[in-house]
Amino acid sequence: MADCEKLLAILEEKFGAKRDLADKWGFTVLVERENLHALMLFLRDDQSAKFDVLLDIVGVDYLGFKDYEGPRFAVEYVLKTMKAPVRRMRVKVLVSETDCKVPSIADLYAIANWQEREVFDQYGVVFEGHPDLRRLLNHAEFEGHPLRKDYPAHKRQWLSTNDYLLPELEARLESKGYKIVARSKEVMPNDDEYLEGSRKV
Amino acid sequence: MTALAEKANIITSSLDFIVNWGRKNSLWPFPYGTACCAIEFMSTETARYDLSRIGSEYVRFTPRQSDVLLVAGTITYKQAPILKRIYEQMAEPRWVIAMGACASSGGFYDAYCTVPGIDHIIPVDVYIGGCPPRPESFFDAMFQLQEKIQDESYMKARAERVKEQLEMIKAKTAECKENAEKAVKNAVSCGVQTIKEGRDNLMKKVAFWKE
Repeated sequence: MADCEKLLAILEEKFGAKRDLADKWGFTVLVERENLHALMLFLRDDQSAKFDVLLDIVGVDYLGFKDYEGPRFAVEYVLKTMKAPVRRMRVKVLVSETDCKVPSIADLYAIANWQEREVFDQYGVVFEGHPDLRRLLNHAEFEGHPLRKDYPAHKRQWLSTNDYLLPELEARLESKGYKIVARSKEVMPNDDEYLEGSRKV
Repeated sequence: MTALAEKANIITSSLDFIVNWGRKNSLWPFPYGTACCAIEFMSTETARYDLSRIGSEYVRFTPRQSDVLLVAGTITYKQAPILKRIYEQMAEPRWVIAMGACASSGGFYDAYCTVPGIDHIIPVDVYIGGCPPRPESFFDAMFQLQEKIQDESYMKARAERVKEQLEMIKAKTAECKENAEKAVKNAVSCGVQTIKEGRDNLMKKVAFWKE
């Protein structure tokens, strides 16, 4: 904590970050999304910070939150360092509903790739510059974002056919140096196997 | 016949009885385990509870070699088509056990992602309650399934199966008969015509020679 509070002055000066006073027991800074990428780079590489572990990326929907005024969504980055035992902090970006975009930090932390996909899947926050922004947990035919507060809690959506993952697999094999010579007939998508109403991806 | 019977190597029985006896004592499960219920199934398989006592020790990991689809755990909507595909791949006769609260009713996952009971996708023979159920419950379910199999009739099912075939054969036979009759009629009329023509020719010749 004391470590982090020393950082605050630098963060305020360089990136216009503010301390989030709602977080009484931890250390959270609020930052504008324009400065997010630079701030994360600073936190990862600077000698006084060295936050080398990105524990989680969390989405928040403030719709109907008690005594709250401000943008509807927030994205929080939970950081930890292996260099000092108690140095932990969170970075929070507020996102409005009309312009639901945040710059991606998948180029800084490899794990951010999937974590951002999860937040996109569940909240619909778009991460600009993400290499492969697809749904992670829900199926391909899912419509809407289930962890938004205005998603009906009991709305269920059926999946009509299995996800076709072969192109993805082949791309990965090719990136590893293998060569796809031929596809067997059995693995090609078969029109008869799609049930009524399914979308072909 | 009496000589054979004296040797005591013949038993008389109904086919249904012998088929059901064979089926119910070698139920090979296909474990579709997705949650903690699968762990309970594993302990059912171990020596302490020993599922092989009722002939189910062979857990087959391919649907083509198994009789009982054992759904143990939560089924999400993303998984539903996979489960259905596996059920369709199983050869008949096939039975389904829904093990635990999640597979039977969705359990406490009353949410956007969980199928509220696998009976929305596939027919279920036996449900087991519990979260997760004890191995004893699983045994109970297997005994219930055995009782159910005991009451099934192989011959009746077979009769239903061949009914369609029989009707097809009957229709085909009728068609063939009709065709044959037509052919015979044609042949007869042809023959009559040739005879008539021959007679006419003869008459003409006779008339010519008379002249």
